[in-house]
Amino acid sequence: MNSMSELPIRILLAKIGLDGHDRGVKVLARSFRDAGFDVIYTGLWQTAQSSMLAALQEDIDVVGVSLLSAAHLTVMPEVLRWRKELGIEDVPVVLGGIVPEDEHQQLLDMGCAAVFNPGSPVTEIIATMKRLAEQRRRMSAAEAIRGYDDHQDTALAQLLTHIARGQLDGTWTPPAGKARIIGVTGAPGVGKSSFIGRLGKGLCARGHRVAVVAVDPSSPVHGGALLGDRLRMMWGEPEENFFIRSLSSGKVYGGLGPRCAEIVQAFSGYGFDYVLVESVGAGQSDTAIHDIVERTLLLLMPESGDAIQFSKAGIMEIADAFVINKCDLAGADATVGQLKSALEGDRPVFRASTVLNEGIDAVVDWITQ
Amino acid sequence: MATRPVEDNARRSAAAPFVGPQDVAGKNWAGEVPPPGEYPYTRGIHREMYRKRIWTMRQFAGFGSADQTNQRFKYLLEHGQTGLSTAFDLPTLMGRDSDDPLALGEVGRCGVAISSLDDMRRLFDGIALDQVSTSMTINAPAAILLAFYIAVAQERGIGADQLRGTLQNDILKEFHAQNEYVFPPRPSVKLVIDTIEYGAQHMPLWNTVSISGYHIREAGASAVEEMAFTLADGMCYTEESLARGLDVDEFAKRLSFFFDVHNDFFEEIAKFRAARRIWARTMRHKYQAQHERSWWLRCHAQTAGVTLTEQQPLNNVVRVAYQAMAAVLGGTQSLHTNSMDETLALPTEQAVKVALRTQQILAHETNVTQVADPLGGSWFIEKLTDEVEREADAIFREIDALGGVIPAIEQGYFRRRIAETAMRQNNAFDNGEAVVVGVNKFVDDDYVRVPILKIDPAVEKQQVARLAQMKKDRDVKRHGAALAALDRAARDGENLMPHLIAGAQAGATVGEMMNTMANVFGRYDGGPEW
Ligand SMILES: Nc1nc2c(ncn2[C@@H]2O[C@H](COP(=O)(O)OP(=O)(O)OP(=O)(O)O)[C@@H](O)[C@H]2O)c(=O)[nH]1
Ligand SMILES: [Mg+2]
Repeated sequence: MNSMSELPIRILLAKIGLDGHDRGVKVLARSFRDAGFDVIYTGLWQTAQSSMLAALQEDIDVVGVSLLSAAHLTVMPEVLRWRKELGIEDVPVVLGGIVPEDEHQQLLDMGCAAVFNPGSPVTEIIATMKRLAEQRRRMSAAEAIRGYDDHQDTALAQLLTHIARGQLDGTWTPPAGKARIIGVTGAPGVGKSSFIGRLGKGLCARGHRVAVVAVDPSSPVHGGALLGDRLRMMWGEPEENFFIRSLSSGKVYGGLGPRCAEIVQAFSGYGFDYVLVESVGAGQSDTAIHDIVERTLLLLMPESGDAIQFSKAGIMEIADAFVINKCDLAGADATVGQLKSALEGDRPVFRASTVLNEGIDAVVDWITQ
Repeated sequence: MATRPVEDNARRSAAAPFVGPQDVAGKNWAGEVPPPGEYPYTRGIHREMYRKRIWTMRQFAGFGSADQTNQRFKYLLEHGQTGLSTAFDLPTLMGRDSDDPLALGEVGRCGVAISSLDDMRRLFDGIALDQVSTSMTINAPAAILLAFYIAVAQERGIGADQLRGTLQNDILKEFHAQNEYVFPPRPSVKLVIDTIEYGAQHMPLWNTVSISGYHIREAGASAVEEMAFTLADGMCYTEESLARGLDVDEFAKRLSFFFDVHNDFFEEIAKFRAARRIWARTMRHKYQAQHERSWWLRCHAQTAGVTLTEQQPLNNVVRVAYQAMAAVLGGTQSLHTNSMDETLALPTEQAVKVALRTQQILAHETNVTQVADPLGGSWFIEKLTDEVEREADAIFREIDALGGVIPAIEQGYFRRRIAETAMRQNNAFDNGEAVVVGVNKFVDDDYVRVPILKIDPAVEKQQVARLAQMKKDRDVKRHGAALAALDRAARDGENLMPHLIAGAQAGATVGEMMNTMANVFGRYDGGPEW
């Protein structure tokens, strides 16, 4: 499959359970990015279920589980059980951790594709990941379309990959959907992903089905990417009607990735009620998001100086509403005041704190009205 | 922000094949390296050092159920140990009860499981709490475990003022490195200050915080980063305590430190020396402490777990011995030596014994205890100490520029910088520049495998069943009222210690009290910060 080389291999790195040792997994994540992979890291304290659900939604080529608590014989059977349950047995799972020699074979027999120890050379791990990714049997475009029409999430996930690779350009269009498409943009680190996570859960709580397209930048040097948005959005209990897809921007400028619009439409056609789009931490002129969404929310934070700085910028003009996030920090009132005085017209200004889960409901009201 | 990795010692000393007087020319010997026991204590906080009193050999232990650990404690006490050191299991460390879904497979595995006052009672059953000194390695829920300890003592008619021991209670390094945090940084620190305040008022013999570099280093930081981040954390607790209205001399002498000792022998020694000097100056001049004891940096040290290798485990005994010697030449107050088999699981008894014997040989056979700071005045050590101090100063300036420790955490500074250094070390290992004997050089497969200790899974079942029974038996009304009072106090910003003690007495569990506080403070998801 030559087309494999067109987009990076997608790797999920999962930390399951309460163990917080993430030195190894972080070193690996960076090495993988530098090897040209797109890497999604789940963050800490995941369950077997949430990790495998992420693997499904993200159409992962190889899952790496990192376990340093020595609980692998309890945790790995759970992981493999969820892999089966969710219908993604085509996705190989490898384990990295402190595994006594006499337990390696037991884990391989159970269904792990490989087992690595803290001393395993990174080059060897990368080579194994490449080999496993290439061996993975994925659905053809036709299979994926059929499954999509039958409402199989696994097929949706694989179809999105075909779309992103351009393999369906001009040959397939999704059925017309009725999703409302909301863009979320703002400076790097302002809390876009955390906010979308709360917003998505808020919408789900009202009975809606929610999809997210989250774009993070690719490394201009290596072509790989660390896709960090998901980690901020989906922590705690996994939500059934909440489907997150992380994309790397590749060489596309303007804050979105390749074929982002088509992916959004595919979600809509699949039957989601809302599609939330997170752009790459936006500069003042990254306004591409405006073209593919119905409404754009611009996130700001207290004392960032953004309010003033942005007031003349293009990105202020495309916003339909503003959210001052991180209102748990000092200076929120001042920022709200500054912003209101800089604004003409009556676009709403919301206050929120994703850490405290405050102010989200008002935004959900506004979006759903 | 781009981080510039600190020059490590290897490169630093690559500059010259030897060091001479010209390298320390112009040094203010009398001001910077006066005799041991004199400000700023570069050469140690005591004049007589180990001649008067050998460092404390404190080996950290704890496993399984409260009853099992209690048996172990009694055994240690019978054999002359006076200090108890408690390791908690991962669920307890994360503020979760043994019956929490995420606790699956972890209960009692790496330490003792304590979910309620009842567990704490059994842990210290038959032990005279007014006579032992107890150290508890716990952070996010530290205030709750302290509340349990105080409540157990009260039941036996022992006042908080009679309790001696140390609570690790250092939440900042959790955000930098170890990841065992629950609430966001600001309320987390607020809770630490609650314990400092409570300790200053009610517990004159208790060390409220053990400010730890160990975990920062194990996560991949360099020696200088470890020391600078740790001291910056100490300054942060100091400033927050001052902001609470406490007098610096009320609490500063109850702050202690905990460092890692790695392989780079001289750099480690220089690290301890520079740390003492910086801390003394800071406490005296920046925070205006008047008492000499407030200027002292007292510390515990542990040999570096990350340097242990699974391959050829007997080699670890040698590594630990060198590291232990560096800690002692650096002037530590107490020391834990790792066991050779700790890479794989909890250590076996045989391995623990060898680790302790390593310290005893050092103390009683090598005669390194004969004079304080025997390396003081060495051109190389003094130059290195100055360099470490200078590089640490540069880090303090970076942290200041970001607005202080908490804003720097929020901006990902520490995690990013540690990840950067870890990556660099990893590359050096991969390309063979950094040699690890038995792993990337002198490899052979013909070595003795040490046996591995396995924990009985029945512990988890029993603990979960006991917890269920306790929840059934407790007074529902009193329990509900205590949690409601805790919730209110958290919203009003009160000192939570009295409410946690009341909660403990009402049968509230660690998980329940953490949840109550999380509803007010929020939960923190940290972040990767590559
Ligand atoms: N204090 C506070 N911190 C927040 C809040 N929301 C998010 N954060 C923190 O802000 C940081 C960035 O959050 P993200 O959600 O990743 O921000 P983002 O805008 O998606 O970032 P990029 O995708 O990298 O541009 C994280 O450390 C969050 O924990 C909030 O309401 N209050
Ligand atoms: Mg984001």
